[in-house]
Amino acid sequence: MITDITLGQFFPGQSVIHRLDPRTKILGAIFYIVIVFLAKNVFSFLLLVAFTLFLVLLSRISPKVVLKGLKPLIIIIVFTAILNLFGKKGETPLISFWIINIYPEGIRYAIMIIIRVVCMLAGTSVILSYTTSPTAITEGIERLLSPLAVLHLPVHDFAMMMTIALRFIPTLIDETDKIMKAQTARGVDFSSGSLIRRAKALIPILIPLLFSAFRHAKDLSIAMECRCYRAGKGMTHMTTHRFGLRDYLSALVMCAFCAAVVLLNKYAPGFSL
Amino acid sequence: MSKLSLENVTYRYSVGTPFCKTALDGVSVSFEENRVIGLIGHTGCGKSTLVQMLNGLLKPTEGRVFLDGKDIWENPKEISAVRYRVGLVFQYPEYQLFEETVRQDIAFGPTNMGLPQEEIDRRVEEAALFVGLEKETFDQSPFELSGGQKRRVAIAGVIAMGPEVLILDEPAAGLDPMGREEILGGVRSFQKEKKSTVIIVSHSMEDMASYADELVVMDHGKVARTGSCRDIFSDRDSLLGYGLDVPQITRFLIELNALGVPVRTDLFTVEDVRKELLRLYPSLAKGGKR
Ligand SMILES: Nc1ncnc2c1ncn2[C@@H]1O[C@H](COP(=O)(O)OP(=O)(O)OP(=O)(O)O)[C@@H](O)[C@H]1O
Ligand SMILES: [Mg+2]
Repeated sequence: MITDITLGQFFPGQSVIHRLDPRTKILGAIFYIVIVFLAKNVFSFLLLVAFTLFLVLLSRISPKVVLKGLKPLIIIIVFTAILNLFGKKGETPLISFWIINIYPEGIRYAIMIIIRVVCMLAGTSVILSYTTSPTAITEGIERLLSPLAVLHLPVHDFAMMMTIALRFIPTLIDETDKIMKAQTARGVDFSSGSLIRRAKALIPILIPLLFSAFRHAKDLSIAMECRCYRAGKGMTHMTTHRFGLRDYLSALVMCAFCAAVVLLNKYAPGFSL
Repeated sequence: MSKLSLENVTYRYSVGTPFCKTALDGVSVSFEENRVIGLIGHTGCGKSTLVQMLNGLLKPTEGRVFLDGKDIWENPKEISAVRYRVGLVFQYPEYQLFEETVRQDIAFGPTNMGLPQEEIDRRVEEAALFVGLEKETFDQSPFELSGGQKRRVAIAGVIAMGPEVLILDEPAAGLDPMGREEILGGVRSFQKEKKSTVIIVSHSMEDMASYADELVVMDHGKVARTGSCRDIFSDRDSLLGYGLDVPQITRFLIELNALGVPVRTDLFTVEDVRKELLRLYPSLAKGGKR
């Protein structure tokens, strides 16, 4: 059912990655994406794949789960790869068929895209979303952005809005599941019929869902006021992370990885993709 | 032959993720025709999961579900026919209302079944009568009603589909005493009139004692016991072991008995206890109004 969605979900644990400061992980994830796009030849790609596997193992999250998280995006990945396969023009076509020409460049490019996208998704998932609780992520973002508060930007409100939005995703998914089941029991059919029929079948889901989203918003705002919530000044976090040896070491590892990719790009012989 | 039965049914939520959870563990149970069956058990023991098996909303991870002796998953394309025959009212069903008027909302299920308009109208009125919904509310928006009235609309919406088996997941939770009695009494008269099978999930032993003919007791994803109210409620020790208890009035009798008053302790409704006390103390009857 719909509750089986795992992408963007947090899996609690005690691995090294879990225990890093969220700021390290946010910056690390951004850095990681940059490195993914730096890789250019066979050797740097091999290193990229190896490093991603290393991260998955380090996070102690089962590789099966990581792969399952990629599943919903398979169509997009395959589609981009196919576009590149046919789109990229080279000198001599490898296969010529009717109006379709496939060049070796196209094949290489398609493979490269697949590796890049898979590594990027798997890597950022285990660095950040699978291993960091939503509250830690927002804490990290708030603290990374805190210098902007000097410019009177509402950094705290922004972080609070994000926390709440993230907090309610699972609730709303659960609720959607419940409402869908209840309407299915009343004879709504979501999986067959014409497009118009299926669109119409959404109304009995969307109206109760909207209604309950507003109900949640109202209840939550009242509950927050009852606990004397005042935005911004003077708010502290229940647990505050601090940079430790672990964080400095991981920064070092990431820099070394980046340097290795750049060096391999430059000095490894041939095979440039 | 029983109306509905489960054969060795196991159900796991979120299979293949670290959150995998076995909610039902090799359950075999059958529900006979023409009676009210109560389903009881502590919080999280799998009652809601079990009732969703019965009308094909959840598919067993292992095991089979039979309706009138036929495996409901034999032909998955025909599962919606099963959903019309087995009506399910969810826990807190008031959140599923969405139509502009109460009448339209009750008519939603029958309309999906493709019934003719006169038949739909007839069923809507009949269903509203069972749950004690006044006619004045028919043209109101369901969102304007009170919680208890919304609950009635939602229950009427399923009754109007004319199911052979009606399943209610905690239909009386959070209602006032009058509301409980009206709804459960309405369901009881629906059962009597249609000779259908009704399954009620409840945490209230008192309601079960007065409305259920038979009980199914669940414990940690398994069916622990089945039997008549008398069978189940006479064995307080094992009920306590399942995190349940006997109805309060029975506890009262047990305490009285322990104090040396020679009352029977195998009575479960206030009415029966009244009779028993009058039998013991006939003099009480003169002063009492009833
Ligand atoms: N959507 C879900 N995803 C994962 N686990 C679930 C889900 N729904 C229920 N469970 C788990 O399955 C078990 C049985 O849940 P179920 O809702 O059937 O209990 P219940 O007997 O109806 O409880 P209650 O009396 O509180 O309504 C619980 O332990 C619950 O945590
Ligand atoms: Mg339940």
